[in-house]
Amino acid sequence: MIDQKIVDPDYLLFEAPRTSEYITGSEAVREAIKRANVDMAIAYPITPQSESMHLVGDIYAQGYVKEYFRGENEFAVMSSVAGASMAGVRVFTATGGPGTMRAFEVFPTWAGARLPIVCAFMTRGVNSPLTIQPDTIEMAYLLETGILMLHAENSQDLHDMLLMAFMVAEKTDVHIPVGVFADGFFVTHTRDKVNMLPEDCKLPSYDPYSAPVPVMDMENVPVRQMRDPFVMKSNFISYAAHASWQQEIDAAAERSRKYLNHYLGGLIDVEHEDADIFIATSGTAVSQSREAIAIAREEGINVGLIKIKSIRPFPREEICALASRAKGIIVPEFNRVGWLAKEICNVIDEPRKVVRGPRVFGGMTMPPELILAEIRRIHQ
Amino acid sequence: MRESSYKVLPGPEGYLPPAAATMGVMLPDPGQAIMEGESVDRDIALRAAARKLIEARNPVFFPGPLILWDWKPGVAEKATALKELAEAVGAKMIPMPDYRPKYPMINPAIEVNPNHPNLTIWHNKIDVCLFIGVHCHYANLALKIIRGGTDCYTIAVCAEAGHEEAMISLRDAGLCELQRLRELVIELKGGKNQ
Amino acid sequence: MKTGMLKISPGFEDIMPPEYRELVDNGPYGKNYGIGDLGSYKELLEEHPLCAGCGLALSLRLTLASLPMPEDTVIVGSTGCSALAFPQVALHNIHSLFGNQNAVASGLKRALKLRFPDKEKDVVVIAGDGATADIGLDMVMQSWLRREKITTIMLDNEAYANTGGQESGMSMQGAVLNMAPTGKKFPKLSLPEIAQTCGCAYVAAASPAKPKQLAKVVRRAILVAREIGPTYVQLYSPCPTNYKFNPKETVSLIKQREKDGLYQSKEYISQEAKAFLESIEVKK
Repeated sequence: MIDQKIVDPDYLLFEAPRTSEYITGSEAVREAIKRANVDMAIAYPITPQSESMHLVGDIYAQGYVKEYFRGENEFAVMSSVAGASMAGVRVFTATGGPGTMRAFEVFPTWAGARLPIVCAFMTRGVNSPLTIQPDTIEMAYLLETGILMLHAENSQDLHDMLLMAFMVAEKTDVHIPVGVFADGFFVTHTRDKVNMLPEDCKLPSYDPYSAPVPVMDMENVPVRQMRDPFVMKSNFISYAAHASWQQEIDAAAERSRKYLNHYLGGLIDVEHEDADIFIATSGTAVSQSREAIAIAREEGINVGLIKIKSIRPFPREEICALASRAKGIIVPEFNRVGWLAKEICNVIDEPRKVVRGPRVFGGMTMPPELILAEIRRIHQ
Repeated sequence: MRESSYKVLPGPEGYLPPAAATMGVMLPDPGQAIMEGESVDRDIALRAAARKLIEARNPVFFPGPLILWDWKPGVAEKATALKELAEAVGAKMIPMPDYRPKYPMINPAIEVNPNHPNLTIWHNKIDVCLFIGVHCHYANLALKIIRGGTDCYTIAVCAEAGHEEAMISLRDAGLCELQRLRELVIELKGGKNQ
Repeated sequence: MKTGMLKISPGFEDIMPPEYRELVDNGPYGKNYGIGDLGSYKELLEEHPLCAGCGLALSLRLTLASLPMPEDTVIVGSTGCSALAFPQVALHNIHSLFGNQNAVASGLKRALKLRFPDKEKDVVVIAGDGATADIGLDMVMQSWLRREKITTIMLDNEAYANTGGQESGMSMQGAVLNMAPTGKKFPKLSLPEIAQTCGCAYVAAASPAKPKQLAKVVRRAILVAREIGPTYVQLYSPCPTNYKFNPKETVSLIKQREKDGLYQSKEYISQEAKAFLESIEVKK
């Protein structure tokens, strides 16, 4: 293990010299966690996530992570992660697809309990018949759990977003979990150039006593404290207390915008802002869209790209502003249900401008020609 | 981000008011404070808070666990400063000793609870209150319920990032802010301490 | 708990509600009290909304009075009747979900060990029979198999009481309860034996009908968990509401069951735990 010094997160993310390496997405997870000053990581295997947590296990063996173990299933792992977080440590885990579904009951309680957990989701199909192939459908289910959701296009995003995620999650006024999503196999199992940070630097450690809730360690007040108590008597006061609690979780997510804007440089990236037609998408569908856009622009069509990096909070105003000037917005997705198109339709003034597709799923790849066909159709 | 037209004003705002943050109200940057949903200079907010406190018919401080207990270095000094501020204002203190749901056993004359702060405000006819030493999550819970159901003017002295649910909120506030608030109270009262 | 942490800030003594003043002046932190001291000090359980004659409430009260180090004990509970009492307990305690208590406790214990390497922090799981033996059995057993240094205490009222009296794995065969309208078809689970097989260093079954025995096994279980490995205590805590007996008869019902051979106290101590307990119990 290399001796690491704690550095300012802005220095680490924006100023520190980077060296380029050709690594897989799973290795990018390892490299991010190595520099994230993580106290504890808990693992459970599921394809295509397993390799990420194997590699986190390796850096635990080397001393970069202080505690690590394999839990018994995803529901238990997410519960153990909650226990660790309530005890005041920085904790990381990863899952994907059916694992996400197995753990599902826990996710809304992470947000409700104001736990700054960072979880990587390596997305995969969940439907019957069973598949291990890439598909982003699990993100549809997670949209309303209170978890902040960042979607990586590639290994570089995955690496950087994981480090940023800890910083955003732990802000006192945010202090809710962050999920960093990467498309299984497409990102996790392919090699890509990643600009990596110095190995001898790490993020500052987590201060649990700045949390918006007491830490469960019997070292802070009040000592008569349950997390989180039932508020379920049948009277108006109980309903109002619970409602106010739920609103505070939404408020925490709103407050994250400022920090995400700082770290991500905006919740979206835009290319060709003056375009007549936009492709708006997230994850690896962005890469496919780039190819289609390049061909279309050669044909003289003014088509631009909206890369959505943050799904929760959703960049509603940024997208709204761009959509108002555009003739059409094409939303390619790697899932059957088209959750991203629905999200966009929900926030823009003229949902009819949205082309809800193309969509591929079940592990199918997305040929740029599918996207190109939509571009040409709108252009005519 | 977008400009917010939403105002964080004394209520009662209604059945279930939205969280201010979801209406575009943003927390102040370091060095700033928040006043009725707008970011202002910290000294302006301190002065406004001092004025609200001295003009109040029945100002009450709600100290939370983080200041009620002398649990870490620096708290005792803040507690003393808070007590001196309360004396300068002529404010009563009603503690929020913990956050457990206590309804209907609560005695609103002697304590306040984040799940139903309105009971304490109604019972004691409080027109201005000051939150301090309450964990941020529970402070926001309570401040929003107060906006919804009472006409009480809320001031939050926060050691962290502040509270957009309060009508006036300081951020990163500690001993200095309490002392400054006391000076302003005395100054606005015409230089006389009680 | 840092020495002196629980001190009211100067000038606030008179406004603090009495239950906190009593806790400071006469609470159990750092005092090494036992159940023999009940009635002479401010208990950890302030008030509770559980039914009259609740065996679980009695077991909980005795368990809290038997903690060897309340000032450094964190409790993990689960959904059920006991979760209604826990907001009133003057210890940091967690309610996460139904059945995941031992998984939460595993993460909590390891994290506390990281943050306080030189200090003991007792993590004690206190949950009902539904949470422990049915929905959470997987995570209970897995925490034992992993040798997590936590104590698991089951408050066994032989039913899902909080949801209206459904049959549980701990109900007696033949018991007619909701969801077993023609009587339970299989016998009560023998979790103490399973605990032993799964690697618990100390296992006991006791009841509030014998408070001194209950106190002894709870204390032993927590001390062994601190030093050696997982421990399990099962506390028979009958439910007058769902089994429809007179609330006055909770304790006599336990005694009758014992006489009939339908309940028996148990204690299993591993060799290693035995040596450890002898070393500390002789010292005292």
